[in-house]
Amino acid sequence: MLYMNSDILRRLQKLNQLKLTDSEERDVLAFFEKQSAELESLSSAIDTENVERMVHVMPILTVVREDVVVKNFTREELQAGAPETMDGYWQVPRLVE
Amino acid sequence: MAKYETVIGLEVHIELATNSKIFCSCSAKFGGEQNDHVCPACCGMPGMLPVVNKRVVDLGMTAGMMLNCDINRVTTFDKKSYYYPDLPAAYQTTQWFAPVAVNGKVRIETSKGEKFIRIKQIHMEEDAGKLVHDDWTDTTLVDFNRTSVPLIEIVSQPDLNSAEEVVAYLEQLRSLLRFAKVSECRMEQGSMRCDVNLSVRPEGSDKLGVRTEMKNMNSISAIERAIAYETARHIDAIENGTEELVQETRRWDDIKGMSFAMRNKETAGDYRYFPDPNVMPVCIDDEWFERIKKSLPELPSVKKDRYIDELGLSEYDADILTQSRALCDCFEEAYAVSGLVKESANWIISNCMNVLNRKQLTADMLNIDGKALGKLILLVADGKVGHANAKKILEAMFDEDIDPEAYANENGYIVSNDTGKIEGVIRAVVAADPKSVADYKGGKEKALMALFGKCMKELKGNCDPQVLRELLIKIINE
Ligand SMILES: [Zn+2]
Repeated sequence: MLYMNSDILRRLQKLNQLKLTDSEERDVLAFFEKQSAELESLSSAIDTENVERMVHVMPILTVVREDVVVKNFTREELQAGAPETMDGYWQVPRLVE
Repeated sequence: MAKYETVIGLEVHIELATNSKIFCSCSAKFGGEQNDHVCPACCGMPGMLPVVNKRVVDLGMTAGMMLNCDINRVTTFDKKSYYYPDLPAAYQTTQWFAPVAVNGKVRIETSKGEKFIRIKQIHMEEDAGKLVHDDWTDTTLVDFNRTSVPLIEIVSQPDLNSAEEVVAYLEQLRSLLRFAKVSECRMEQGSMRCDVNLSVRPEGSDKLGVRTEMKNMNSISAIERAIAYETARHIDAIENGTEELVQETRRWDDIKGMSFAMRNKETAGDYRYFPDPNVMPVCIDDEWFERIKKSLPELPSVKKDRYIDELGLSEYDADILTQSRALCDCFEEAYAVSGLVKESANWIISNCMNVLNRKQLTADMLNIDGKALGKLILLVADGKVGHANAKKILEAMFDEDIDPEAYANENGYIVSNDTGKIEGVIRAVVAADPKSVADYKGGKEKALMALFGKCMKELKGNCDPQVLRELLIKIINE
């Protein structure tokens, strides 16, 4: 089973507009290799024959709330950690349409 | 020349009429100062847990039932990943594996007759934020007020074959969803938006041609123009090899009247859907399901037939009333109180519509109390309030909640049965206008109307016209 390789990693970087250095790439690949091995050992150790697929990993269902407006935060609080803001907007590098 | 068939499927996004957002308690109201309706959850800050707004599920189910869908009794949310600044978490929470409603159908009518358009699915999801380009600083400014505002997306099967069918389908969706109060479906305000998937194939072929998608269309006439343009472009490419058709997303420029390929093709469409572990699956039990089922309104087409067959309204009147849920509700309440079918219909179709037009409001925005209208209709029918004054009372009902009878009393609009007072007024008017009296006696009917009008004015309209007319003739002939 193959979970990650350098092609997939390159594509993911493109999709997420990230640029990893060569050494970061090596670290990520090594990490996934280790994870893959562990998953591999799990799937060979546990018999999942006849086990129904789960809808969700948590044994909790239907957590819903009523349709009521509550305001808990100010704009200033939310933008306190933003690198750039302008007139109450978050400011980001110009996008080319 | 070979004949071609256009094959169109629509993805229609509809903003739901809720108070708060889909996964947090921020206001979902349109507008507001930039980034005023935001919190850590809808800003995509790490560590926040989304919690589903129950009303969104109610409305998703309602839409599903209105469009004859099967409701998935366990419905789940998934992450759709794409990187863009209007999406702070870099993924949209939507439904992919178990959407709330599937396998529906919508009946449309066109010049070619009746047709059913199959609905593939309806899913619930969050809207994205808004981007503003600032030329001065050459940067992009981000407003997250719209982020996480609840939407449903209605995905049709590729069953539509012309612009006419697309328009009929969109109008039918709008009518059904407005009736069920799922959304106001206003394309001009962006509460209804449409992606058009289009391909062209030789008539009779069962193989679909290359499909292109035009996103975020927000007016019916633009959609009609875009379909005509894309169809011609596809046929030209097939027949004359003017260009190679590729599956892609295109932007419709309504001013230029052309569609353009959007850039960034390479990364488009790879959304890597996977179940969102932060949002718990929603299980719709029988009680919940039945509650929504019971809340569904009578369909407009069924209502129209009932108005004609059971209540005896004309097709014309029934047509006008059933164009809007607000008109139907008001009519039914007014009729229930007054017991007068024709009068109830007439008051809404002429008087209420006049006031709406004058105030530049649409029929959907009629929000007067139907029961009060029923009482007003009775006051007029019983001869207690004259027509002119009744219209003034109606006008006041648009501005405030009033009891028509109490309001009529306060403003002196109650018809007087005091014949002594009426006689006094008539005698004064007659004495002051001997010429009109002489004209009438000389055979001029119009002169009587002039005298009648003067008396009515003196009495401020509070007089039974029949009584006034009889007394006036009696006094002139004395
Ligand atoms: Zn929020």
